[in-house]
Amino acid sequence: MNVGAWIMFLIGAIGLWGGLILFIRHYFAAARAEVNAGQGSTDEG
Amino acid sequence: MQRDQWGGKLGFILAAIGSAIGLGNIWRYPYVAYENGGGAFLLPYFIALVTAGIPVLILEYSLGHKYRSAAPFSYRSLSRRWEWLGWWQIGVSFVIMTYYIVIIGWVLSYVYYSFGTQWGSDPDAFFNGSYLGLTDSFWIVGGIQWKVLLTTVIVWGITYWILQRGVSRGIEVASKILIPTLVLMITIIVIRGLTLPGAAKGLNVLLTPDFGEILNPGVWVAAYGQIFFSIGVAFSIMITYSSYLPRRSDLSNSGFIVALSNTGFEFLAALGVFSVLGFLATQQNASLDEVVTQGVGLAFVAFPQIINELPGFNSLFGILFFGALLFAGLTSAVSILECGIAGVKEKFNLSRNAAVNWMCGLCALVSILYVTKGGLYYLDVIDHWMNNFGLALSGLVEVILVAWVVRQLRTLQQHINERSYVRIGNWWIFALTIITPILLGVVTAFNLYNELTGRYGEYPLSGLLIMGWGLAIGLVGLAFVFQGMRSRESTAAGVSEGEEVR
Repeated sequence: MNVGAWIMFLIGAIGLWGGLILFIRHYFAAARAEVNAGQGSTDEG
Repeated sequence: MQRDQWGGKLGFILAAIGSAIGLGNIWRYPYVAYENGGGAFLLPYFIALVTAGIPVLILEYSLGHKYRSAAPFSYRSLSRRWEWLGWWQIGVSFVIMTYYIVIIGWVLSYVYYSFGTQWGSDPDAFFNGSYLGLTDSFWIVGGIQWKVLLTTVIVWGITYWILQRGVSRGIEVASKILIPTLVLMITIIVIRGLTLPGAAKGLNVLLTPDFGEILNPGVWVAAYGQIFFSIGVAFSIMITYSSYLPRRSDLSNSGFIVALSNTGFEFLAALGVFSVLGFLATQQNASLDEVVTQGVGLAFVAFPQIINELPGFNSLFGILFFGALLFAGLTSAVSILECGIAGVKEKFNLSRNAAVNWMCGLCALVSILYVTKGGLYYLDVIDHWMNNFGLALSGLVEVILVAWVVRQLRTLQQHINERSYVRIGNWWIFALTIITPILLGVVTAFNLYNELTGRYGEYPLSGLLIMGWGLAIGLVGLAFVFQGMRSRESTAAGVSEGEEVR
């Protein structure tokens, strides 16, 4: 692949998948916060 | 009557991802990106995601969750005069479902045909001739194509079974199995694609940026259109799905996860599609422009050609590709039907079984139109009008209603932030009040201009007027009829927080 294509691949991958990983981390952080607050697992709703 | 509820947040997120990821993620996005600046398309695409896709998705989550109803009663809770908007969106979803299920039937046939690459050396002739038996012109219906009917009936059976089992035991369980499997299948396809000779040729075409294209307004219209259709807003699905969430549920973070999973998935799928298209071009000593295609042509003509050319494991690759399409299609189909099921269940106080029977029965009956030998023509025309003058237009009306007519964005923002780990700021209000209405307005005006200045396809005007404009306008009229029908109040009363605000 040429340099331009590689750069755009990295932008796409970091932007989309990196963003997804960030919000999945928030998901688990929220779950931990609820457990610590004694509200049980978030997955039980 | 006890309202259905997700068994857990993960189940809801996977079901919402399953709804958002459909056939379009695999067969539409790669071509749209290629056509609109290659790698440079990512810039308007990201902006569209942040300013329209995620805000509208979170808006729909908040509507469904706050008013705990499907779309018609959620809009009615905003304003009694606007229930029709929910019925309009359900009507559009219903029509889309009538042909979507037939396409999944084609996909199922091709899972079977992958065993021993039964499409032969000329997949184009096989698909249009032997398989579809396509007639010569639009108004020649041509009778039932039995092999298409057979797999359509099987797909209807699977869909009906999932829906009949309910939200947590049916849709949620199916999503928990199908979505991880789908991601695994696509990952294998991408890895295989990237290791084929010529893959770099395809990826260069997909990703090399042409920044000059960013100044082209058409590229921005394409980016907003792609994000809007891809995430699956304005079908009323996300309103229905979030209405099944428990009261204490994180709405904004779920919205970000679902939107980014959907866009991340289609970016991944595009890498797979263009690497194998690069391989095909290399094998045929052709330029990529000659082999690149989208939609039905990509799945049922180009991919069988690619599978024929592979050096080994041809059948396995076919099963993986069409299996991935099957799973992506099934999870979306279930969600499209669910919004109608929830709507009629609430309006007419039906049991779930009765609502499922009515919706699936009626939809299956209409879908017979597309298992005829002329079915592909009708499918193409109706799909075009439903996308451009059903989804996009109803999405525009939805945003204008909430942001400008009933002005409830602040209330909804408060509702979201009270229960969400990730708080949403004023950017959300600004995106929904200014950016999304303007851009969706431009998209709709662009579509209207194209329609009025040229004829879609090579179809007869009578066909476009009846199946295109006639159906699109008829659905709006039908929505008002449903609004005027008396509700058999019961579940509608379950609109606990849904005190009418205007």
